[in-house]
Amino acid sequence: MNDHVAIRRMLALAAAGALEPNEERLVAAHIQSCAGCAAELEEWQLLTGGLRRLPTPQPPASLVERARARAEARLAEEAEYRWHRGVMIFLVFFAWALTLMSWPLVRLVSGGLLGLLDPRLNQAWIGFAAFTTFVWLGGGAAAVLLSLRQRRERSLA
Amino acid sequence: MGPENEVARLRRGDMDALSALISRYQNRLYRYLLRLVREPAEAEDLFQQTWLRVVEKIRGFDPNRNFDAWLFTVARNLAIDRLRRIQPESLDEPVSEDFPGGTAMDRLTSKEPAALDRVLERERSSRLAVALVDLSVPFREVLTLRFEEEMKLEEIAEVLGAPLSTVKSRLRRSLDQLRRRLETRYPGENWQ
Repeated sequence: MNDHVAIRRMLALAAAGALEPNEERLVAAHIQSCAGCAAELEEWQLLTGGLRRLPTPQPPASLVERARARAEARLAEEAEYRWHRGVMIFLVFFAWALTLMSWPLVRLVSGGLLGLLDPRLNQAWIGFAAFTTFVWLGGGAAAVLLSLRQRRERSLA
Repeated sequence: MGPENEVARLRRGDMDALSALISRYQNRLYRYLLRLVREPAEAEDLFQQTWLRVVEKIRGFDPNRNFDAWLFTVARNLAIDRLRRIQPESLDEPVSEDFPGGTAMDRLTSKEPAALDRVLERERSSRLAVALVDLSVPFREVLTLRFEEEMKLEEIAEVLGAPLSTVKSRLRRSLDQLRRRLETRYPGENWQ
């Protein structure tokens, strides 16, 4: 492929301002001596100039207002959702910490008095802890499922 | 001034920033969507969906990225999903070449030269717009991003999720096809 053909293939991109600087220099140098390519470049420039001057369709004012109102409502929903999620996470951690701390605390405060009342109670904390874990895992799974369902409903809305 | 300040405020949940961003981008976004889907009703729906998606995703937006490219990517993804649901043949349907506001001859009978120039300019623009919407989606998309949105090639590559070389080649082929169509439909005329 000779230079003339190669340059001619670049002319559309030259008019679109999409050439590398070195390619632009090549085109500029070539059209100085090639009237055909200069005319062709002008044709491309007329076309790209026309594209740049196409009238911009305006969105209806009512559309912009509707979009604004819906987006603001969604923004408020998002903020509320994040707040609820934050509160829920805090409560979950708080409840877990309270649960885990409560039994050793009871034992400490009671000074073994409960053990005197029921000798089997010292071993019972393992069962209690297992029960608590089971309940919390169940609650956690329910919360996750609920959250997934809410998200699905929101995406369908 | 760029939209960085408004974007940062929107990420903190500021409603005024949302309103400012919608005002800033309303014309460009609507034009882009209209060029993609061609139907005003579809473009209007997508316009609203785009802003809802922006609100949902803005916290995940990297402030170091270009917001224009990100916004147009969001809009593009929604539009492409919509276009995929429409029957593919409807995308290639030739559009009407009638121009609104009476016949061309009616409008050309005006005696004022300035009015005549305006009419001719409008005619050329209409023909160009008709030829543009008649192109396939990838072609009219790259042309609108480059010449109407005046995006840099790198920004277009980001919106399209394609390498720069693909953008250049698509741009060249789009111009080529547009010119061929104009020459076929309106032989011997220029479209300045």
